[in-house]
Amino acid sequence: MYTLGIDIGSTTSKCVILEDGERIAAKSLVAAGTGTKGPMEAFHGVLSKAGLARADISAVTATGYGRATFGEADGELSELSCHGKGVHFAEPDCRTIIDIGGQDAKVIRLSDNGVLSDFVMNDKCAAGTGRFLDVMANILQLGIEELEIYAARAKSPVRISSTCTVFAESEVISQLSQNVNIDDLVAGICDSVAARTAALARRAGIKDKVCMSGGVAQNGGVRLALAKELGAEVFCVADAQYMGALGAAIAGYERKRKESAFAV
Amino acid sequence: MSTADLLAKFHKIAADPAAQKARYLAEGRKIVLTAPVYTPEEIIHAMGLVPMGAWGADIPLNESKKYFPAFICSIMQSILELGITGAYEGVSAIVIPSLCDSLKCLGENWKYAVPSVPFIPMTYPQNRKPDFGRAYTKAGYERVIADLEKVSGVQFEQEKLAESIRVYNAHNAVMREFAAVSAKHPIGAGERADVFKSAFFVTKEEHTALVRELIDALRGEEPKAAKKRIMLTGILADAPKLLAIIERNGLQIACDDVAACSRQYRTDVPEDMEPLEGLAAKFAAMDNCSVLYDADKKRVDKIVQDAKAAGAGGVIVVLTKFCDPEEFDCPLIKRACEAAELACIVVEADRQMENYEQAATMIEAFAELV
Repeated sequence: MYTLGIDIGSTTSKCVILEDGERIAAKSLVAAGTGTKGPMEAFHGVLSKAGLARADISAVTATGYGRATFGEADGELSELSCHGKGVHFAEPDCRTIIDIGGQDAKVIRLSDNGVLSDFVMNDKCAAGTGRFLDVMANILQLGIEELEIYAARAKSPVRISSTCTVFAESEVISQLSQNVNIDDLVAGICDSVAARTAALARRAGIKDKVCMSGGVAQNGGVRLALAKELGAEVFCVADAQYMGALGAAIAGYERKRKESAFAV
Repeated sequence: MSTADLLAKFHKIAADPAAQKARYLAEGRKIVLTAPVYTPEEIIHAMGLVPMGAWGADIPLNESKKYFPAFICSIMQSILELGITGAYEGVSAIVIPSLCDSLKCLGENWKYAVPSVPFIPMTYPQNRKPDFGRAYTKAGYERVIADLEKVSGVQFEQEKLAESIRVYNAHNAVMREFAAVSAKHPIGAGERADVFKSAFFVTKEEHTALVRELIDALRGEEPKAAKKRIMLTGILADAPKLLAIIERNGLQIACDDVAACSRQYRTDVPEDMEPLEGLAAKFAAMDNCSVLYDADKKRVDKIVQDAKAAGAGGVIVVLTKFCDPEEFDCPLIKRACEAAELACIVVEADRQMENYEQAATMIEAFAELV
């Protein structure tokens, strides 16, 4: 049985096809989120990669901010639950998930059997989210993937004190005008995201093993800064950006299993 | 009337306070606005004036920003916005209590921003329980009475206050009964909110009669299918979009600790005391509220006890943005719920919110936890 999960976020659309709830058959990612053609492109992309048609898929479950408006889905689930399921599948020992997405940050606690037990979300502003890093990378004319390399070379990270993304942007520009070392500036930006996220994580309570999911998980600069802030090792889940879609595919599989159990 | 007709009537009242204001003014009644929270409505009622709740509205805030900083309670801001933009024209005065810093600012700003509606302060003591606290409260009420006499030309009489206290105690009782009945005979979260909200816009005699009719109608119906039972807490929880999300996720409000809902109806005025003393005694006896000083924060335990007693599996804290007193209680509530194995989420809301998408995500996940 094939089940498909689609995670429609603010900046990207991700799809995963799962075979029999056990094996990832295909995945796709399109850098366009809710309200764009991105979700459909990701959907068709993953079907094509798996060599399957819509009719071959037993359940399509949508998650993320665009979950309610995706017409191909026959089920939907919050991204909090989906990230929980996805990360538990990929890292069964994980008890705390830190998910930094394009427009928000979430800290999710899992019980010993991998069930969502608590969560907190930062829904106040862009500080501590992927958007913050996008804005900063743009000012520095760097690719988002380059931030990690620059941060690793820093000798004395600059402190970015503004919480507001717009004010922080002004602060970074001001630092640039003073010829501050760019490595130190990038490290300061990563530290800033880490500090906001760590504060959120402390509110939820930290329990080992701590894993990061979401696009920002791939940024080693933020991940290492976060580990330092929390005083705990922070692991990057493989395919971190796909955890929501994976969880949605698992949820679809569970739903179909339940339905067939009732049918028997 | 059927339950549906009664609920429609409550909705009509709750959704259109301007119509109620126009009706009372057309009847030749004088209206006095009562800002949150614990404004001594009994005194206003005893003087033959119509107390009408002023808890703001879900509107864009423009004019009020001349007087308030951006990061302050939007309930206060929207009350002032409505005052400046003329929504309260025709009323005789507004009574604003001093129970939080934002309310104090509202009172001071009101004097300059809305000169056409006289501001009457009700200054409460921090230490309300000792004798000196009660005397302070009573002096506050006497100041309100003197100011009301000035703006209305009506003389205050203790005997009439005794009668109003009986009317208000009866209303408190019927609202407590409604809260209990609506937990057994569930109605929608929005419908429940309408019943509480409408109490601000009609006289308590009218409201008591309507709620009594609704209780009888609900009791005559078969209990509906069981949903996931939850508790709501916060200052205000009447945003239709937020309540629709709660309903959409199959959650039923089993009880609440919302200041604009049940919290205000917990304590009656003793009827065996000199009326004004009795009113001060009521304030002294009140507890379990973020704006009433309590070093032991007994409110936190009460939330857990009430939730458990009502069979709620979780608590949603509807946190009015920038409400310091409620924010101080939030970590304690969350911790206590966790210890009691109750799911708990904090959903921030304010009077200007249009998009509740993130709240929807949280509530959807919360529904799975309950």
